[in-house]
Amino acid sequence: MTLKEELKKLFGQKLELAAGQNNELYLPLTEAELQKAIKNMAENSFELVSLFCVENFAEKGFTLFYAFEKSGFEEMLVLQTLLSGNHAVSIAKTFPSACWYEREVTDGFGVEFQDAFDTRRLFLHETYPSDFHPLLKSFKNAKVETATPNNQNQYLFKQVEGEGVYQIPVGPVHAGIIEPGHFRFSVIGETVFNLEVRLFYKHRGLEKLAEGMKPQECVRIAESISGDETAANAVAFCTAVEKICGLVVPKRALQLRTIWLELERIYSHLGDLAGMCVDVAYPVGASPFFILREEIFRQNDALTSSRFLKGIITVGGLTKAVPEGVLENLSLYLLSFSEKLNAATGIDSTYFSVIDRFETTGKVKEEILSPLHITGPVARASGKMTDTRINHPYGLYTELKLKGQTQQNGDVLARFNLKAAEVLDSVKIIQRIISELAGGEVSAPCQIKDGYALSIVESPRGQNIHWVQIKNGLLDRYKVRTASFCNWQAMEHAVLGNIVPDFPLINKSMNLSYAGTDM
Amino acid sequence: MAKAISNLFKKTVTDSFLFKDSELETISVQLKEKVDKVFGRSLAIRELDTGSDNSTEIELNNLSTPYYDVERFGVSFVASPRHADVLIVTGAITRNMEIAAKKTYDAMPAPKFVVAVGDDACGCGILNNSYAVLGGADKIFKVDLKIPGNPPSPREILKGLLALINAIEKGQKN
Repeated sequence: MTLKEELKKLFGQKLELAAGQNNELYLPLTEAELQKAIKNMAENSFELVSLFCVENFAEKGFTLFYAFEKSGFEEMLVLQTLLSGNHAVSIAKTFPSACWYEREVTDGFGVEFQDAFDTRRLFLHETYPSDFHPLLKSFKNAKVETATPNNQNQYLFKQVEGEGVYQIPVGPVHAGIIEPGHFRFSVIGETVFNLEVRLFYKHRGLEKLAEGMKPQECVRIAESISGDETAANAVAFCTAVEKICGLVVPKRALQLRTIWLELERIYSHLGDLAGMCVDVAYPVGASPFFILREEIFRQNDALTSSRFLKGIITVGGLTKAVPEGVLENLSLYLLSFSEKLNAATGIDSTYFSVIDRFETTGKVKEEILSPLHITGPVARASGKMTDTRINHPYGLYTELKLKGQTQQNGDVLARFNLKAAEVLDSVKIIQRIISELAGGEVSAPCQIKDGYALSIVESPRGQNIHWVQIKNGLLDRYKVRTASFCNWQAMEHAVLGNIVPDFPLINKSMNLSYAGTDM
Repeated sequence: MAKAISNLFKKTVTDSFLFKDSELETISVQLKEKVDKVFGRSLAIRELDTGSDNSTEIELNNLSTPYYDVERFGVSFVASPRHADVLIVTGAITRNMEIAAKKTYDAMPAPKFVVAVGDDACGCGILNNSYAVLGGADKIFKVDLKIPGNPPSPREILKGLLALINAIEKGQKN
């Protein structure tokens, strides 16, 4: 059954879809219809994938987009509604993950949500003026006045009271070489009773910066969303633009892009495996992963002249061909890779002091996965088979027909074992692609057209979704939601009942991106 | 007890790690000499991320991994700004990080030096026109050295540090 038939069942014959790209169904609704539809979505186990606002989309005013997915369907459903003013009704009570999205829309556009249970500002901290909404079209990107933090605009954390309860504020500047973010622990003895994560210290205004750019220039913005998701975000952005323009990317470029995507997953996961060992004071166990990771960085550099695969992916294909002989070297190198990795994981995952810290630590419970839209290794380690490469295949993955990995326990050990298994899978994928590599060009000439499209990819951290709108050949709206944006909310649940010293370990095992969330 | 003693005679479980990198060796020998001389054998660095895309942090972290292992040369990344000689700033200064960044710098004892690492921190990135950033690190700090790159490799960062110490030795920085 297609998603369209499923929707006909839910909405009856009234179903009138707006024009959309392949695999995207857009359903325009009035504000009242939307509220009913939201209930319908929840009852029929649709998952909220993203919620965002666009100003002056088809008509003047604010249009809200609610993107949904349902397991078993490759297509995405997007409900859209034009607001009559700058008010909407919150859906956070039905879909808890909407809370952050709604706060984001309020900060960006000044659209307020009735019945919202949290109306604090999100990415605009105390130093931004109170009536400032950067994503409004009337605001031309420029420096704004600085407001002074005071009692009125102060960010209030949830207060937990009772005998023996105390708070530990941590950050934004942390003790290691880590990105900034604030964690407010409420603790009884050593046990975490509540954690509130406050992020967006690294908010760089990327979405606004993209507006008015040529699509080819904007790849650079996509790459800098999160440095270690460079390939994933560049591919997501380019795929959206290619969908809009009806571009067919040459086979060889698709294959090479997939190699970059999997190399990125390998080095990212290797970093996590090493980091988990470091965080349980077992540096000897971490070293083999660090060594392999550095070797992958060097392979990246040889292949693309960038250790982080920057500047190679562009709209229509790749910016340049791979130098002669480098792919053969990669293929040779990978021959002994899996053996080395297995030797390392075999020792670490059975070493008593490691198991003692990994097992039962930072459990992500299965019941929070769908309501908070948790994706990537965090969800797969808790038994949920969600992988964009399989659920919504794109690019070469439509042909590769992958089988995903899962683990059941949802603790740090499950995430460790899952990531190790996924690295091995990625190695096999790369080897297979190299053996089947097509010849020919790596880029197609591109003619930019106007339109809008959605694109989702599986980054090392999970599902990233990009929505791109082009008007007059320039970007009019670029909305990105990385996996980390949702997965951070799993962190607040995973640490409960754990001791504070285990927090860094849990944090590392999830390895969420601050930059990718703060944008 | 018997087990503990027998452990002493067991075969080592770590593998030897062979690699040769002559350029890196040259840089590191010089770096060690200079750190010994100018910083009394210990150069303590505090890293401060003020809005990077996280690739620069990854490269800085890589300096402590087996291929580079900079602690061999007396260079260490420290947890507190109170222990630091050098502040490495990565990323453009975002408005949301401005206050925390200044507090971190103020917590360092003098003499102190600031190094901007990566294009955004050096003010030559893509973010300068954004409402959300003030600009490069020199918007709020007196920057002693810039190491551009998107991101610079561990090797380039080491070369930069060497250049900084050389300049300090010659009295060009204070």
